[in-house]
Amino acid sequence: MSSISEYRAQEESITMAPLGEQIAEQGEEDRELMTLNIGPHHPATHGVLRLLVTLDGEVVRDLKPIIGYVHTGIEKTAEDKSYWKAIPVVERMDYLAYYFNAFAFCGATETLLGVEVPKRAQYLRVLHLELNRIMSHLVWLGTSALDLGAMSMFWYCFREREAVLDLFEMSSGQRMHTRYIQVGGVIEDIPAGFEERVRAFCAQMPTRVDQYNDLLDRNEIVLRRLRHVCPMGADELLALGVTGPLLRAAGNPWDLRKAMPYSSYEDFDFAIPVGTEGDNYDRFAVRLAEIKESVKIVEQCLDGLPEGPYITDDRKVALPPRHELATSMEALIHHFKLVTEGFRVPPGEVYYPIESPRGELGCFVRSDGSSKPARVHMRDPSFVNLQATAPMTKDAYLADLIATLAMLDPVLGGIDR
Amino acid sequence: MAWPPTPQELITVSAPSPGGAGGAYRAFGETLRGLKTTMARVFEGIHTIQYPEEKVPVYPRFRGRHRLHRFEDTGLEKCVGCSLCAAACPADCIRVVAAENTPEHRISAGERYAAVYEINLSRCIFCGYCEVACPFDAITMGQDYEMSDYSRSDLIFTKEMLLAEPLDRTPLRAEGE
Ligand code: SF4
Ligand code: SF4
Repeated sequence: MSSISEYRAQEESITMAPLGEQIAEQGEEDRELMTLNIGPHHPATHGVLRLLVTLDGEVVRDLKPIIGYVHTGIEKTAEDKSYWKAIPVVERMDYLAYYFNAFAFCGATETLLGVEVPKRAQYLRVLHLELNRIMSHLVWLGTSALDLGAMSMFWYCFREREAVLDLFEMSSGQRMHTRYIQVGGVIEDIPAGFEERVRAFCAQMPTRVDQYNDLLDRNEIVLRRLRHVCPMGADELLALGVTGPLLRAAGNPWDLRKAMPYSSYEDFDFAIPVGTEGDNYDRFAVRLAEIKESVKIVEQCLDGLPEGPYITDDRKVALPPRHELATSMEALIHHFKLVTEGFRVPPGEVYYPIESPRGELGCFVRSDGSSKPARVHMRDPSFVNLQATAPMTKDAYLADLIATLAMLDPVLGGIDR
Repeated sequence: MAWPPTPQELITVSAPSPGGAGGAYRAFGETLRGLKTTMARVFEGIHTIQYPEEKVPVYPRFRGRHRLHRFEDTGLEKCVGCSLCAAACPADCIRVVAAENTPEHRISAGERYAAVYEINLSRCIFCGYCEVACPFDAITMGQDYEMSDYSRSDLIFTKEMLLAEPLDRTPLRAEGE
């Protein structure tokens, strides 16, 4: 069988009426199942996700998520680039967590190389990672609240997101896909005036979160839409591989920042928000509380920001400082070598997991000793979390399916890669 | 830090069940509180910007459309056609063809110059690696982000377009502003 017909067979195996006969057996001839196609171009699917839903009246009996509409081949593309050049490429997978993608990839490469990252670079990374987490949660909150019919939340969240993107533009020159994190550190130190702006943002953000809470937290409509809706226990979530805020909402405090600290996370004092029931409300409240914790981490980063270099001084890995190019022949040679060929990485393989806004984001890199990775793979949390949709929403109302999908926070760029 | 976390390190979120007497209260009280929250935002003023009449100035590090530079005193091009920028580009969108300078026909300060220098901006991902790679500061990322055009071929910027002073249409912030 050729691969094309195998693909056809797989496509055709998606059956449109899987439960039809079951219902007929119950002797209710007037009841009929309906198959509804949602997406791929539908605002409520938060990206180009297609859902085949089998409905019994308004109740979801079965659901099949179909992905692949934004497949970019980034993992494969990265194999064809030197490590340095792969950073802006892998950044573009999960487009709301670009600092996380870049950091997972750089962390994996640094582990293979055995490069020591200076303390200041670690703090600067954490600073941007946490700002990125706030930004990602804001987009999630805005779009999810929109799904529930809360229009103003969307504008409020995007107003604050704008402030974070402004900070990114100031420190790294771009609002999205900043390629700020590099192997061995970060590409540039933060500019003058950046600290005051971050502090101003940190002073304002908790009041903003309180305002979001005023609007949503105890609102009776929100409670009715979210509380006790589509719950799932921690054990079942773990069996499906679900991590991140979804798992914490079910009461399991698993957070890689505390469980396996990386990039100096052990220096920071923050709490892990957990839920009790694992329903949609807990998923919502855990993320909101996480924004406040992230603000605390950012403030501690600024308070404790150590002096020192922002990138490793290992000239085999990091580009030499620009001012040396005009004076030192050796620096120029290193510069030429790093730009044209890149650094060679010792053979081996490594898996580097970090806590992204959506859960465990792991980067697997295998090196064959050349200057290009032999294999790059991302364990993207959205992809794994998505498989919990069907068991979560079984026998729930269609409207609750939309709310649950929103609370899952899938990012399709990360799912398809 | 030890795992598992101590209870002090956890924040447990909770909410009442909807409905009941509390629900009746919330339907009025909480709705009013929400209304108060949105009304209070009216006094914060307007956050939107009337683009394109009004523009947000970009920061000094902003990476917009590329620019090629000349030496101010001699007018010679800084680019020597070494193709390092093309080698660094992750999107493979720079094309450089170098040629030799001759005494009668001197274009750049070095031995060679770029006879062809093209950037395909429809492929460019604005990572700025070309700027980082260039050892002679011949190419930098400018501040212009308004580059849309009606046809793709118009997005291939030639050396002349990159050397020309761009239209001053994007305001720039001062350092530290
Ligand atoms: S900004 Fe990046 S993608 Fe664009 S031309 Fe320069 S190196 Fe290539
Ligand atoms: S712009 Fe710079 S890196 Fe590119 S060819 Fe010219 S001198 Fe070389």
